[in-house]
Amino acid sequence: MTTKAILAGLTGLLVATSLSTGAEAAGDTLNIGMGTADAGTLDPHVATTTPDKGLLYWMMSGLVRIEPGKASPEFIEPDIAESWETSEDGLTWVFKMREDVECHGDYGNLDAEDVVYSLKRAANPDTSSFAKDYTPLTSIEATGPYEVTITLAHAIPSLLGLLVPYHGGNIVCQDAVEALGDDFKTNPIGTGPFMFAEYQPQQFVRLVANPEYFRGEPAIKEINYRYIPSDAARDLAFQAGEIDMIYGRQDQTWVERISQVPGTKVAVMVPGEMSVIHLNMTMPPLDDIRVRRAIAHAIDRDTMVAFKGADVTLPSVSVVPEGYLGYTDDVPLYEFSVEKAKELLAEAGHPDGITINAIHTTLPGMLTTMEAIQALLREADINMEIQTVEHATFHSQIREDASQVVHYSAARFPVADVYLTQFFHSDSIVGTPTAVTNFSHCAVADEEIEAARTETDPEAQAALWATAQQKIAEEVCAVPIYQNLQLWAWKDTLDLGYEMTGSLNLSPAVTEKAHFTE
Amino acid sequence: MTAFILKRLGFACVTLFGVLTVVFFIVRVLPGDPALIILGDQASQASIESLRARLGLDQPMIVQYFEFLGGVIVGDWGNSLVSGRPVIDEVLNVLPATIELTLVSLVIGTVLGIPLGIWSALRRNKFTDYVIRITSLLGLSLPAFVSGILLLIAFAIQLRWFPVISSGRGTTFADRASDLALPAINLGLIMAAYITRVARSAMLEVLNQDYVRTAEAKGLAFAVIVWRHCLRNALIPVVTVVGLYLGYLIGNSVLTEIVFNRPGLGKLIVGALNQRDYTMLQGMMVIYTLIVVLVNLVTDLVYGLIDPRIKYQ
Amino acid sequence: MSAPHLGPAARPASRLAYARRTLSAFGTGLFKAFNANKTSWVGLGIFLTVCLLAILAPWIAPYDPIDQSILFRLKPPSEAHWFGTDYYGRDTLSRILYGAQISLTIGLLAIGLALVVGTTIGMIAGYYGGALDVILMQIMDVLLAFPSLILGLFIVAMLGPSIENLIVAISVTAIPQFARIARAPTIAVKEREFVEAGRALGFSNRRLLAGHILPNILPEVMVMGSLYLATAIRVEASLAFIGLGVSPPTPTWGGMIREGFENILDSFWLAVFPSIAILIVVFSLNLLGDGLRDAIDPRLKGEE
Repeated sequence: MTTKAILAGLTGLLVATSLSTGAEAAGDTLNIGMGTADAGTLDPHVATTTPDKGLLYWMMSGLVRIEPGKASPEFIEPDIAESWETSEDGLTWVFKMREDVECHGDYGNLDAEDVVYSLKRAANPDTSSFAKDYTPLTSIEATGPYEVTITLAHAIPSLLGLLVPYHGGNIVCQDAVEALGDDFKTNPIGTGPFMFAEYQPQQFVRLVANPEYFRGEPAIKEINYRYIPSDAARDLAFQAGEIDMIYGRQDQTWVERISQVPGTKVAVMVPGEMSVIHLNMTMPPLDDIRVRRAIAHAIDRDTMVAFKGADVTLPSVSVVPEGYLGYTDDVPLYEFSVEKAKELLAEAGHPDGITINAIHTTLPGMLTTMEAIQALLREADINMEIQTVEHATFHSQIREDASQVVHYSAARFPVADVYLTQFFHSDSIVGTPTAVTNFSHCAVADEEIEAARTETDPEAQAALWATAQQKIAEEVCAVPIYQNLQLWAWKDTLDLGYEMTGSLNLSPAVTEKAHFTE
Repeated sequence: MTAFILKRLGFACVTLFGVLTVVFFIVRVLPGDPALIILGDQASQASIESLRARLGLDQPMIVQYFEFLGGVIVGDWGNSLVSGRPVIDEVLNVLPATIELTLVSLVIGTVLGIPLGIWSALRRNKFTDYVIRITSLLGLSLPAFVSGILLLIAFAIQLRWFPVISSGRGTTFADRASDLALPAINLGLIMAAYITRVARSAMLEVLNQDYVRTAEAKGLAFAVIVWRHCLRNALIPVVTVVGLYLGYLIGNSVLTEIVFNRPGLGKLIVGALNQRDYTMLQGMMVIYTLIVVLVNLVTDLVYGLIDPRIKYQ
Repeated sequence: MSAPHLGPAARPASRLAYARRTLSAFGTGLFKAFNANKTSWVGLGIFLTVCLLAILAPWIAPYDPIDQSILFRLKPPSEAHWFGTDYYGRDTLSRILYGAQISLTIGLLAIGLALVVGTTIGMIAGYYGGALDVILMQIMDVLLAFPSLILGLFIVAMLGPSIENLIVAISVTAIPQFARIARAPTIAVKEREFVEAGRALGFSNRRLLAGHILPNILPEVMVMGSLYLATAIRVEASLAFIGLGVSPPTPTWGGMIREGFENILDSFWLAVFPSIAILIVVFSLNLLGDGLRDAIDPRLKGEE
């Protein structure tokens, strides 16, 4: 009797609820599905992961910005700064700010003091992951209520590049940082089109429109940025209409499938995150250049590109990604040849092949690449043992020099210097106090990298960068594989207001102009 | 009775203390530096060191240990290393979602499991019995993530009755229920498989008792015997099934939460593990063991209440 | 110990009798259990078939399980690939066959280890009693307080996902269960007359435990072993599904389902076939253990 009642109740409940789903699409709420389990940190001067940077992009302004929809520094345009002047020697920069920029919430008008505070915060290693980039800035001063003057110790490749809303260039509000203290990292305050509203760990971050945004109030009133790590679940939710925009799996089959969902727009955007195989030159047998060259010969880029799909990858030639300022394709190439690889190994005293170890993340996007490489190497009797560890462990272990081979996939500010410095300058070698991400212990191009940094003549600078790339390729510190382009899809009823060809922050720009057309 | 409860409580405290100690040290042996995870891949060694100091990770382990124990006692479980918010808040934030899921699936499991178990026992070694037993065995053999995926394909993708992503945050009853439906059915069916089997063997045992045979000999109608004598006695062991299979229930709820992307303790702990959130992991383990120890205590006591023959020893 | 005085001539004969008594307890116990329940035979049959397929994998698998063929990615089942190919163009059938080796190896070794360690602890605790019993069982209670999947997750995350570590992790979660199972019958058996008699014969504790008590409690322990083996295989698959499985390219069923789930919309077979494989193995073990447990459960005897 009671059993029946409960059963009847449950059945009724199921029927009732099954009818109520599906009718939730509101015209001014944008639901976005992101492919990660959780936010790392939302402090704009600390956040480095793709999902965090992408989200902050919609909340933050810089002194200048790259035109929405573009990724290249040639599209830099005013943001908080209306205009700027440079001294003849290029070492003193004066920025005139807009006076109508308001901080999110009740933190008031943004003035020169805020900008100075923000940039100094970005230059401080205690509060910023990007402090190193800002060391050439010898002084940052408020020279008027809405005027900021920056002085450089020496010429650098792109000061404006350091001032776009990306990494340390994100402008935060002093009062907010000081008032929120430790809470700031989960409650970021900036001046962008959307402002932070709520964070539920492992579930979502909710943003709301900033009514006081200086370019006008956004048409989209709310953004739900939902963390859905499973590619399949994200696609399913998109297909079912539960979310409006998704982060795609870096794979052409994904593009082909998701394009078939009616009313879908797919975007393939630059910059790509470049997959590079770093070879630890201090560990035998990789200390022998013949072995490193053998590995380079054994990896077939065409197969790798076919694996992920030609529409979503760019084959890599140099250790600097194509499209970055200073990139050259004039580097020694190691054509695909299993015989050559075997010959080189035999020459190096390994006629029966070698075994090398690689600690690798379980992150599916990267792991598939590594497994495909593993299979290619096996053809040349190179047995690469992959030990998979969880992503966090991976990051810490590769910095402890625990892996002979490190597969790293990253995008950086598109100037050759950043990539060369972080991955191939001896200061950045892992395990040292100044370590960044030089996993190969490569130190063959320090001179050129340093000289190029302060070289003011663009041609001479390009030549230095080219030489650096050639030397690194000659020594095979690392084998570049391909660039994975950024893949996103959204409902075609969503009009972002710009053509999306790229995004430095890796997520499509959602600005005041974005709106639903229905 | 009081002495029994006190003794059980004492043992529970010893267990908890042991667990806390084990957890503290396990968590610290885990590879992966939380400071690095928080600061990201471009941070310099200097910033990593300074964050380690701020988080107290540079202190001797023994100091950290006593600070941890002291904190647990006064209810301060520290702040999440990642979000910076108190661990207890984060746990309480998702706890309702997990409790909701667990309770509803227990109800589904009981409503299906007990009648099926009893029916099966009454038809022992008949066709019905075999069908029910084989089906329930299949139920226990299917990993929770496999059944979850099957449900997703059928009801969320093909039929579109329920959402793919279970937000667990709906504000209206209908929203909540529709979010809950698939995960709860998944977990509920698995629980039903366990409960069916316990109910069946409990019923078989009761049917074998002397008083049932006496009643039968007295010529009482079989239905009356079952209803009046057997049911109550057969239900006793079923109560303990919750305590007995709590571990499975928790494990399955973790997998269910992952498949359905539903917030809850399970998703929280896997996330904390991925982010090397030491304090969060500690808090999660404390919560889990608290739940296990408490539920076992309660089932023991309830068992005694239902069945007066059991003496508290 | 006041042993009844036995003449030298009587001793060998009685020793033989004890040996026969104790050994047959083990043999006949299991055999009777099997005969009483036909479904156990079915379960055993299926399980042994799977074991055989796993052992024969190198000869019967149509392809190398880790051989990639990028041009033949995500192909549906066909004559060349009965169960289709995966994301890297590897043959799913071959991976399932080799995956069986991994699942069974981890499961059998983990449960074997847990059985030996757990039973020993349980027997020692039950036989000696007193403070030793309290301490050992308290430690077991601490371990039991962790839900097994969570504990496994912890240990694997701590040690790293290799076959050895998975075996350790899974066996740690099962040790307290075996200790519990072994302890109760040990207490019951140690009072029985043939153990008393053995003690009277001056047998050492170790000999009594190993030679006399063990064979009597072994049927029950083995039956539980087959049930926990099912659990172990499921836990291993669950860990692999969460992402804590044996490293690639080694095929594991849980890992295959994880990969399959990511391609569920276009290539459902990738998740379906390994799921069926897990279901068959776990089901056969449950069938086996469940039937045996019914048969040796003294409470259900006398029926029919």
